[in-house]
Amino acid sequence: MTCDDAGVDMTAQPNLHPGAGPVRAPRGALRRPERGRWFAGVASGVAAHLGLPLPAVRVAFVVLTALGGVGVVLYAFWWLTVPVGDPWGAAAAARPSALSRIASRPTDAERPSRRWPVTDIAVGVLLVAVAGLLVALREDQLDAGWVLPVLVVLAGAALAWSQLDEVARGRLRSRAGGRTPSSVVRLLGGVVLAGVGVLLLVGQATGPGVDAATFAQSVVASIAVLAGVAVVVAPWWLRLWRALADERAARARESERADIAAHLHDSVLQTLALIRARADDPAEVARMARAQERELREWLYDDRPAPGTSLAAQLRDVVAEVEDSRSGPGGEPVAVEAVVVGDRVPDEATAALLQATREALVNAVVHGRPPVSLYLEVGSDEVEVFVKDRGDGFDVDAIGPDRFGVRESIMGRVRRRGGTAKVTSRPGQGTEVHLSMPFVAIPQVAVEQVAPEQDPSVAPQPAPGTVEEER
Amino acid sequence: MTQQVPAVPAVDVVLVDDHHLFRTGVRASLDDRVHVVGEAASVDEAVRVVRTLAPPVVLLDVHLPGGDGGGGAEVIRACADLTGTRFLALSVSDAAEDVVAVIRAGARGYVTKAIDGPALSDAVRRVADGDAVFSPRLAGFVLDAFGAAAGDVATGDDELDRLSAREREVMRLIARGYTYREVAAELFISIKTVETHVSAVLRKLQLSSRHELTRWAAARRLL
Repeated sequence: MTCDDAGVDMTAQPNLHPGAGPVRAPRGALRRPERGRWFAGVASGVAAHLGLPLPAVRVAFVVLTALGGVGVVLYAFWWLTVPVGDPWGAAAAARPSALSRIASRPTDAERPSRRWPVTDIAVGVLLVAVAGLLVALREDQLDAGWVLPVLVVLAGAALAWSQLDEVARGRLRSRAGGRTPSSVVRLLGGVVLAGVGVLLLVGQATGPGVDAATFAQSVVASIAVLAGVAVVVAPWWLRLWRALADERAARARESERADIAAHLHDSVLQTLALIRARADDPAEVARMARAQERELREWLYDDRPAPGTSLAAQLRDVVAEVEDSRSGPGGEPVAVEAVVVGDRVPDEATAALLQATREALVNAVVHGRPPVSLYLEVGSDEVEVFVKDRGDGFDVDAIGPDRFGVRESIMGRVRRRGGTAKVTSRPGQGTEVHLSMPFVAIPQVAVEQVAPEQDPSVAPQPAPGTVEEER
Repeated sequence: MTQQVPAVPAVDVVLVDDHHLFRTGVRASLDDRVHVVGEAASVDEAVRVVRTLAPPVVLLDVHLPGGDGGGGAEVIRACADLTGTRFLALSVSDAAEDVVAVIRAGARGYVTKAIDGPALSDAVRRVADGDAVFSPRLAGFVLDAFGAAAGDVATGDDELDRLSAREREVMRLIARGYTYREVAAELFISIKTVETHVSAVLRKLQLSSRHELTRWAAARRLL
């Protein structure tokens, strides 16, 4: 399983992108989506894969077609080689399972995917047309005597099928796509084509004299035979091939199951045992339940970023640590409602900001009153944090500079890094701490810390530009 | 709070969640401003019950078994023609893709399952009155999706694809944990005005086809 580069690159998660603080936009895998397609879904698949606007890709195909038909050739090539599927789903499947969410994604039931095998039908119609043409060309030679051999061949094919016992037939049928109308039509069409081809070929070989035109006809006829056989056999070949892939996937699922079992054992089971042991201590039980709930929710419903690439993930860790280790004034656990908008690769400045945020959170939890709210916003040129509680509040100015622990641990930390810190508190309305940290002024030390192997002369990029890139 | 209700009749609600234990818990925690008239445990059952009862409000879990796998969003789409019925999404997941999918399908708001009884009853009443219910987290999703954090704001009122400066301000305050009342006080506007802004944002979230929103949603596979 590709755990690094390629695997992570296609995901919806933050990438380590040195110098570019904001998270890079995700890309889909190269698949032809069922939805939103006009023809075979090549354009929409390419657009999703390259992150380009769909109309631009469609225009590009048209323009390329005007240039000597390159567009049509490309389109046909991708049509044949790119499998049908959901680009984002395929990209997510490429994620290492340890980092993906467990719960299934909501599917869009509004627009059911197309069920008609258009490609098959088009190929089939083409082949039948060719066969019809060949027969028509030799119409003068056709008489009632031809009908009999055709029937004999068809009956023979049917007999061959009936020779298979019921079980084998069922298995073959299921491999060919089950007893669906399209698979039956495909089978019949293939058999008819093969039969017609054989008859034409035989009729030709035994016919009087051989000239160029009839030779060409027999070549075409034999191609029709091969095509007919291919139409009959291809689905089984594909099924066989997919069965192999499925087997591999099953093995991967098996190891995933082992992962899940190990995780459940390490977390949920242990917590439940602890809760039972501490059932007489409601505060402790509530805290453990809360911690477990948080962990399980993250595990089930979120894709986890690679470590060290996401400020949002670091903030969640800080929140978890505070929730687990601190209690309100009455010893009760306090839940923090954390909301994060945007994300970026952490650096030294955001580390200081996180430290200050942690101190503000601890203050809010220990001295304030729930609900405690935390809001972090990664803007175009700064990161802002708001920590709000519903305590009694206090008069900020009335607190002497010597006594105010908040002053050094929160405000000092942020200001030393070029940020600003403001505490707003009105008696009876709680306290709100507002921290903001610009990231234009970050020296390249920060970048080196993220990616030590980068050449310092190319690594730093101005943040506003990278924001444009992200959007 | 519960004593002052007689003037207003209770709001009829259908409760849709696949966990019996949870339905029982919600039923017990709702106060007498809300009356549970029906329950359902799957997509198909929910569509049937909601179509039969046509309640003013449906409390709808995001994750539901049955149907075509669309969960709560599928129920909302299947009942889209019931104009008198509004949906309030309940979710344990908090993940953007789950929540925004039901909102885009037409839910009037979203609350987490950790919400307490009185707050849930408030939310139901608010939805019944035609307002939108935004939790801090949903406000965060909106800011994220519209790229409002980068300061890209609408200048005209009827621009669907961007938030106006005021709407962005309201969303940020809600994300910071302010109640509607506190938002109103902070911005020196009335609560009704706050509700108007919130409803406008909900409409934009549901109808906008903004390029960034589409990409944001596609990255989380919402569309």
